[in-house]
Amino acid sequence: MKYDILIVGGGAAGMAAAITSAERGKKVVLAERESDLGGILNQCIHYGFGLTYFHEDITGTEYAARFRKVILDKNIEIMTDADVISIDEDRSAVISGKNGIIKVFFDFCIMASGCRERSIGSVFTGGTRPAGIYTAGEAQKMINLAHYDLGERFVILGSGNVGQIVARRLKILGKDVAAIIERNESLGGLNKNRHDCIEAYGIPVILRSTVDMIYGEGRVSAVRINNLDTGKTEILKCDALITAIGLIPDRDVAENLKKNGTYPDWLYFCGNCDNIHDMVDAVTMQAEKLASDICRLMEER
Amino acid sequence: MLKTEKTDVIVIGAGLLGCFAARSLREYNLSVRVLEAREDVCTGISRANTAIIYTGIDNKPGTLKSELCVRANENFDRLCSDLGVPFSRCGSLMPVFGPEGEKVLRKKYVQGMKNGVRGIRLLSAEETLSMEPNLSPNVRASLYVPGTGTVNPWHLCIAAYENADANGADFCFNSKAVRMERIKGGFRVTTEENEFFAGAVVNCAGLSADTVREMTEKPLVRIFRTGADYFVMDKKSEGGVSHIIFHEPESGNKGLTLVPTIEGNILAGSGERDAADVPDSADLNGLLYLEHLCGEVVPKLDMKKRIRSFAGARPNPFIVEPEGSGFRKTDRSIRDFSIFEEEGLFSLVGIKTPGLTCAHELSKYISVKVADYLGCSEKNSGFCPVREPVEKVSELTFEEWRRVVLRNPAYGRIVCKCGVISEGEIVEAIARGAKTVNGVKRRIGTGMGRCQGSRCTMRIAELIARELSLPVSEVTLNGGISNYVKGGGPGEV
Repeated sequence: MKYDILIVGGGAAGMAAAITSAERGKKVVLAERESDLGGILNQCIHYGFGLTYFHEDITGTEYAARFRKVILDKNIEIMTDADVISIDEDRSAVISGKNGIIKVFFDFCIMASGCRERSIGSVFTGGTRPAGIYTAGEAQKMINLAHYDLGERFVILGSGNVGQIVARRLKILGKDVAAIIERNESLGGLNKNRHDCIEAYGIPVILRSTVDMIYGEGRVSAVRINNLDTGKTEILKCDALITAIGLIPDRDVAENLKKNGTYPDWLYFCGNCDNIHDMVDAVTMQAEKLASDICRLMEER
Repeated sequence: MLKTEKTDVIVIGAGLLGCFAARSLREYNLSVRVLEAREDVCTGISRANTAIIYTGIDNKPGTLKSELCVRANENFDRLCSDLGVPFSRCGSLMPVFGPEGEKVLRKKYVQGMKNGVRGIRLLSAEETLSMEPNLSPNVRASLYVPGTGTVNPWHLCIAAYENADANGADFCFNSKAVRMERIKGGFRVTTEENEFFAGAVVNCAGLSADTVREMTEKPLVRIFRTGADYFVMDKKSEGGVSHIIFHEPESGNKGLTLVPTIEGNILAGSGERDAADVPDSADLNGLLYLEHLCGEVVPKLDMKKRIRSFAGARPNPFIVEPEGSGFRKTDRSIRDFSIFEEEGLFSLVGIKTPGLTCAHELSKYISVKVADYLGCSEKNSGFCPVREPVEKVSELTFEEWRRVVLRNPAYGRIVCKCGVISEGEIVEAIARGAKTVNGVKRRIGTGMGRCQGSRCTMRIAELIARELSLPVSEVTLNGGISNYVKGGGPGEV
């Protein structure tokens, strides 16, 4: 099949780009690897979304639901459970999904594949490699979407938005959060989250520190906190460690197309695979603008 | 206590040595049972090492180590082809940075020549840098050894296990030998649940091989554990190397080893250090020292691209002397492969580098002795050395993959995004014996990419639960009490 635009990813960015392109009369195919559109929004059951775009304070799931409602009314080929495996220079892509493996052709490709998380392996830690270590997004998905119980007492490494929101979620579930550990001199993330999560729930914060030892055979039993200024160490008991130590744009599937530092002129990035955004509203607007620019480019040709 | 039927041989331990021993013993008409303490193969010393297939230039001429290593290296392509294991003969360079290092090079060169290692050459700084442009420009010379290679030790061990199993070796997991006695006609080995009987025992119990031996013998050798630290770089890291690098530091301190792995990552490791309290525990200072060495040897390697660090255990055998009810350590370290043959008990105690390289040759060496002891000269005419690997969708062409998916749609559902590994491969790994998340990882490489399993571990745990009819809360990362979640799951709020 031949399309005007292939959109890789059906989260906030992908849905916005697809809607805009379809409204401009373009023939669009969108491939989403999960069973539902919405991406990371589906696991964000907290408020704080839509303030700019909808002028309302809604949850991430609600934000996604509003776009899902719109997108289904448009003339868009939507593939769910569909992984884009590779994108080739002849403007084709291999998509693996529930209906088997297919190849689609297109004129333009919009990457809206989001980001991934840095894992504990990127930090040098001594000690064992037990179970009970999760990235924040992984933990959020496991808790909010699959209702897994990850432990009783948590240490959270990294104080960005995701770390703070997961800390609050754990407190709401009645778990003990021993501390959030942050290497900088102040908390990361938005002021709003500091107020709504850290202050409102009384979560201890240890600044200018990192985790440098992990203890436990089988499950994690404690971590060692190292103060980066004084070198003083402290052992915190816990049965789970959550890492929120940074997000990296996920461009894996397009990496092979990069030649001499640049991508081909038919491939564009939006949302978190372009750069990491604090607010989803900004992702939506960026994706809409990019799709609109691409449509104009196509119309001018 | 359940009494089981007697076999000709019991192998204790299902690491590399145990799995290969079982396989080689099945080349004879001998019935073989393997007792493994853990839930799976390849969970001990075999699990973490530099993954290098050595040539024998490092071993003293005339030793068993040098003899087996040279032969093992020459036969390695054949072995891997039989077992369906990828092997990369990438060659190695030993760069040096001063006159002391150059002396070491010349010594290794002469030793390699004596051992009959082919193709080795001393290279100038220019030649070295043209082969490895990312090495520090301070390099003075190097020794090039084209025969050095790398294999994934997990794949090799698992392939040996599967092939031994297919050839009729009986593997018993969660079966730790707690007692061994000599009885008429052989041995009785007791686990927590069963009694096993055999005419001969091959002791491949890794870090416990000394204490297993002492279940029937007097103290003579003991293992003193050391550790080694490693880290792995992301596949896309720039500034790496394409040959194995054995850095020989001028100071006489521990050098750096870099391995371009089969999977396309760079694995960095260094020499041994004192043991941690827990065998697999990484040493923070060891890791920081490794980082420092990388800065000296491959300064352009982007350290921000590292994705994992870990540690392995090394067994060092020393002669001990009985003293009272225990033993006394002597300063006599055993340098060569230490194999003890004691009336039907064959113990491999403290087998370390080049143990991965020599696992197969050692097992052949032992099997001849076991068969001879049991008076069995007859070869097993049904023995088939060939093992088929798990089909990898990432290595198929579009059309091939499409056909596979038409046959089984699970091969079209990608679970591990980084490695492009499908549900079909995971289900196959479980069918072949994986019981844990890391058991799946060791078989097919899930969770080894840049996200380190943060996007796929939940799904893999759910697939293990589904295939083995367990609740997800009973699925472990690595056996024992390493449960991935504490409870809950879909449908339970």
